[in-house]
Amino acid sequence: MFAFSSTRPTLPNDLVATLRPVTLAKSRTLPLGEPWSSLVPGAGLRRGSTVVVQAPPGLGGLSLALSLLTESSARGHWAAVVGVDDPGVVAIADLGIDLRRVLFVPRPRGAWAESAADLLDGVDLLIVRPPSRASHGAARRLMDRVRERGTVLIVLAESHAPWPLPADLSFDITQAQWATSSRLDARYLTVRVAGRGEAARAGEHVVVLPNRRGRAEAG
Amino acid sequence: MERLLAIWVEALCEEAPDGSTLRDYAALLDALTVLCPFTEPIRLGLFTLPLRGPSRFFGGERAVLDAVGQSVRDVTGHEPSLGVADGLFCAEVAARQNLVLTPGATDSFRRSLPLSVLGRKDVATTCQRLGLHTVGSFADLEPARVAERFNKHALVLHRVARGELAELDTQRDLKLIRRLRQLRGEDAAGDEQMGFFGQRGAGDDRADAAAHRVRRRLGADAVLLASLRGGRVPEDRATLVPWGSPSLAGRDVAPWPGQLRAPSPATTLAHPVSVQLRDGADHQIVMGARGFLSEPPGALLFSNQTRRDVVWHAGPWPLVERWWSLNRRRAHLQVLLATGEALLLVAEASRWWLVGIYD
Repeated sequence: MFAFSSTRPTLPNDLVATLRPVTLAKSRTLPLGEPWSSLVPGAGLRRGSTVVVQAPPGLGGLSLALSLLTESSARGHWAAVVGVDDPGVVAIADLGIDLRRVLFVPRPRGAWAESAADLLDGVDLLIVRPPSRASHGAARRLMDRVRERGTVLIVLAESHAPWPLPADLSFDITQAQWATSSRLDARYLTVRVAGRGEAARAGEHVVVLPNRRGRAEAG
Repeated sequence: MERLLAIWVEALCEEAPDGSTLRDYAALLDALTVLCPFTEPIRLGLFTLPLRGPSRFFGGERAVLDAVGQSVRDVTGHEPSLGVADGLFCAEVAARQNLVLTPGATDSFRRSLPLSVLGRKDVATTCQRLGLHTVGSFADLEPARVAERFNKHALVLHRVARGELAELDTQRDLKLIRRLRQLRGEDAAGDEQMGFFGQRGAGDDRADAAAHRVRRRLGADAVLLASLRGGRVPEDRATLVPWGSPSLAGRDVAPWPGQLRAPSPATTLAHPVSVQLRDGADHQIVMGARGFLSEPPGALLFSNQTRRDVVWHAGPWPLVERWWSLNRRRAHLQVLLATGEALLLVAEASRWWLVGIYD
């Protein structure tokens, strides 16, 4: 066989260093479900990127971050949720996330960055809610690690403790309005989606999250 | 103490070398669970079930005894001995003697038993030398005198003899439930996250390794897996179990009428937080026996004196569960705060608790 023959010409060293296995752009993104697939440039989350979801406390940040997992979870990707103290399991299941492939680390007790780094090798998507304001260094190390591992990091930040570094993609909840009947029906979130590179065009969109079935849909 | 029916099947108490005993035991447990879902496997050969609920359902205790006896005969072909008494200890002794005690007769029955039923030879012989021959005479001793003479296990015996504890700590076979799960293939060894065609993918192994790393850093119960089980309200339906523990067999498939429908709170507090609900004139709001609020809510007060205005509410939806044993009465209420947050509150034991945040 040619591959084993001793007469095979050797490749120059500088050429070998530049060779990479061929990957398609599609395999480097994780899919997003509706309505995000039509709102986010590229219709997916690029592997190795950092997404920041910023919202005032209690106004839908957690639901939004979780709704980014739905499609990947349905396709068998693993996800982890770090620092969310009391996850609402029923709401997560209603969103369409496969609970068998989600690891919860509710109380990382000050070691949130270390736990997140531990999990990066094992999961494809990682939601992190830092219990306090993240330091510049910790954020930098985590994002570097994410880029190297090809995971998607979703940071859940509050307005008073923003993520210290610019993100590849950011979701900013500016307004949340509940529609009610004899019970809570649906919540209309006004979300500002912005990013870097091809996602640079910022746009405000209204999404329904959760709707009457607990899912996300376009407003 | 709860009135229990103990079912003693002599033929199933000795383990056969071919493992058939455990299989028969599991089959019988399944059959009894059909009659009463609260049937408990105690030890090989012994089951108990609470009698109050089933006797209402079947129309009397005699009917339950007949149904259970018939079920045991059908499944195993052996004649069971059935005993009814208060508490596991007396129920087992009664079952071995095939006795059905009338309500209130358990105390005198227990006092009349010989000391040997407590299962401790040293206590029995010492007491007999002191002229105490029955459980009742042992129970009349001061706890301090018993503690002087014997070790702390004898104190447990003494409390059982006095009727303060329902069961001896040697009565239950702690490994039995685990063995039953293994028998049914539900145990941790076979409990892996299966891929599409039942195989494990590379991703599952990577996730395993990552979970182990975090566990080593933070402790055994730091990594959790969630699952759903049956129930009406979000806090009952959610279960979080540590990674690596046997998964819960039950799946949330049965219909639950009266379920609180989606959307569900994205944060469900494992330990509800006590809050105060006030009306416009700053009076506490109470819920009447018929499930109405005394006044429409106007403000919510947290324990740290944070005050939030309530702009809208829905409910309350009363929930009376297990009236035959625990008698848990709750009512759920959705409120919308002026800041835009939606919360799920529950009224229980005449107080208000925050159980969920629609985050």
